[in-house]
Amino acid sequence: MTWRRRYGALIRNAWLVDLQYRASIVLWIIWGVMEPTIALGIWWTIAGDGAVGGYARADFARYFFALMLVNQLTIAWDSWYLDGWIRGGELNYRLARPLHPAHEAVAENLAYKARSAGTILVVWLLVALVWPAVRLPLEPGRWALTALAVLLAAAMRFFISFTTGLLAFWTTRATAIMELHGGVSLFLAGRIAPLALLPPVVGNVAGLLWFPYMLAFPVELLTGAAHGPRALLARFAGQVVWLAVWVGAYRLAWSRGLRRYGAVGG
Amino acid sequence: MSSAIAADGLSKTFRVKVRDSGVAGALRALVRPRYRDVHAVRDVTFRIDPGEIVAFLGPNGAGKTTTLKMLAGLLYPTTGRVEVTGFVPWTGGPDFKRRIALVLGNRQQLVWDLPPEETFQLNRAIYDIPDAAYRERLAELVALLELGDVMQKPVRQLSLGERMKCELAAALLHHPPILFLDEPTLGLDVTAQEAIRRFLTQYRERHGATVLLTSHYMQDVTALASRVLIINRGRLLYDGALAALVARIARTKRIELVLGDGVTTGEALATFGAVKSFRFPNAVLEVPRDEAAATSARLLAALPIADLSIQDPPIEDVIRQAFTHGIEEDA
Repeated sequence: MTWRRRYGALIRNAWLVDLQYRASIVLWIIWGVMEPTIALGIWWTIAGDGAVGGYARADFARYFFALMLVNQLTIAWDSWYLDGWIRGGELNYRLARPLHPAHEAVAENLAYKARSAGTILVVWLLVALVWPAVRLPLEPGRWALTALAVLLAAAMRFFISFTTGLLAFWTTRATAIMELHGGVSLFLAGRIAPLALLPPVVGNVAGLLWFPYMLAFPVELLTGAAHGPRALLARFAGQVVWLAVWVGAYRLAWSRGLRRYGAVGG
Repeated sequence: MSSAIAADGLSKTFRVKVRDSGVAGALRALVRPRYRDVHAVRDVTFRIDPGEIVAFLGPNGAGKTTTLKMLAGLLYPTTGRVEVTGFVPWTGGPDFKRRIALVLGNRQQLVWDLPPEETFQLNRAIYDIPDAAYRERLAELVALLELGDVMQKPVRQLSLGERMKCELAAALLHHPPILFLDEPTLGLDVTAQEAIRRFLTQYRERHGATVLLTSHYMQDVTALASRVLIINRGRLLYDGALAALVARIARTKRIELVLGDGVTTGEALATFGAVKSFRFPNAVLEVPRDEAAATSARLLAALPIADLSIQDPPIEDVIRQAFTHGIEEDA
């Protein structure tokens, strides 16, 4: 009850604040739609009437619509919040409350995701009405597995973003590091192209890191590109392992960072 | 009686990066960073009993806020021990945090774009305050702080004084027994300052809270605190009653006079002591502390005087003297 009430109040406040900034919310959603739409446009042209790396036009359409949705469901902005809290001194009162600041960040995430992913889902359904290429078969088993993969990916991206934000305890460049991470994820997480289209060397490097698990895997699961019990098990295991690594990194950064904290400002 | 707050040998040293100016300096700092230690708090020891209001005094950078943040569990001390209501602050967790309120004058917890009531509701959930208790406490705080008119306005539209009142209300809804207040009247006009002081006095009388506050305004200290801790360059210089400090440091007393007809210049007064101000019929003389009574008697005998009072020097002067010359050597 306590936690439901706490999260309810935090999410409510996040939405009430959003209502004050309607225009910027619309811009962020447009941005969330634009990137995959532009990528789709490019691959649509390249693919022509044939296929690239096994992807025909309709496959690209499904991939980037799924990417649009999964990206909004897993994205995390926490490094920007945390950087501001730490460097601006707003972490102070948050540390004095009997609630770990991460809960406020999680609640912000949930509020943002419900709003933007909900909007994109509506957009997708409207487009699917007139464009059969982006329709997905109704397979409850696959949707359930996708939900699990999205949950793990969202948790991983949250811990990546939160932990990177905690670097503000040491450096004034925490958000720059997150920008760099975002740049790399453009290629290695499958934002600009399906991973199957990457040069083999790059694909192999990506496979050793967490990037494919934070976006490409749930997208491929949703579109049906990832299948087979062994392959799925291996990739779920990859998600769990990388999530554990980032949770460990967060715990280390939090405990060390607090010891170092200067609690700037009044 | 066990202390509400106990600090033993508390020290905090920050390691600060040193950087020369200009691009070359920035590049040098990048290649070979240099650091120096800043001793913000050095070996500070004190105890505060439950229900006491204690003021922390010191110039900017003296170590007041750093000490307050260590007591509230925000900062880890470099050395020393702290206990607040039986908890070690930085390991006390939620149970400790429910027992304190930390109000930082220039960093606010109110949600900027929403009316203050939304922050109150959030704190009700965070501190798990039962509905009936919440309604009762909010009504009390709204009445004491006169918040009725501001509850529905977005925080960004409130005046500084209104914001600070709301900040106090948000911080006290969970009825903490310990209050850490850092500059609670900073930047407020005289009326708002008085309202905050009146509220703190009433709150403490009603709930018996222990209060440790820092302030630059001596009126806050004289109106609220029974005891002061004076800190300068990280060291505790004085711990005791304000009146005792004045008696210890001030070597002089002020004799304030209302003169009768015939004394139109300050020259006649100069033989009795240093004339600090003269504007007929008012004059202020400064005389050695132990001669104040005798000088007053001589003045009354020698001059037409309508009124006379003996005062301690302004508290600001005493404190300034303490910071400039220390306390022991002036004793």
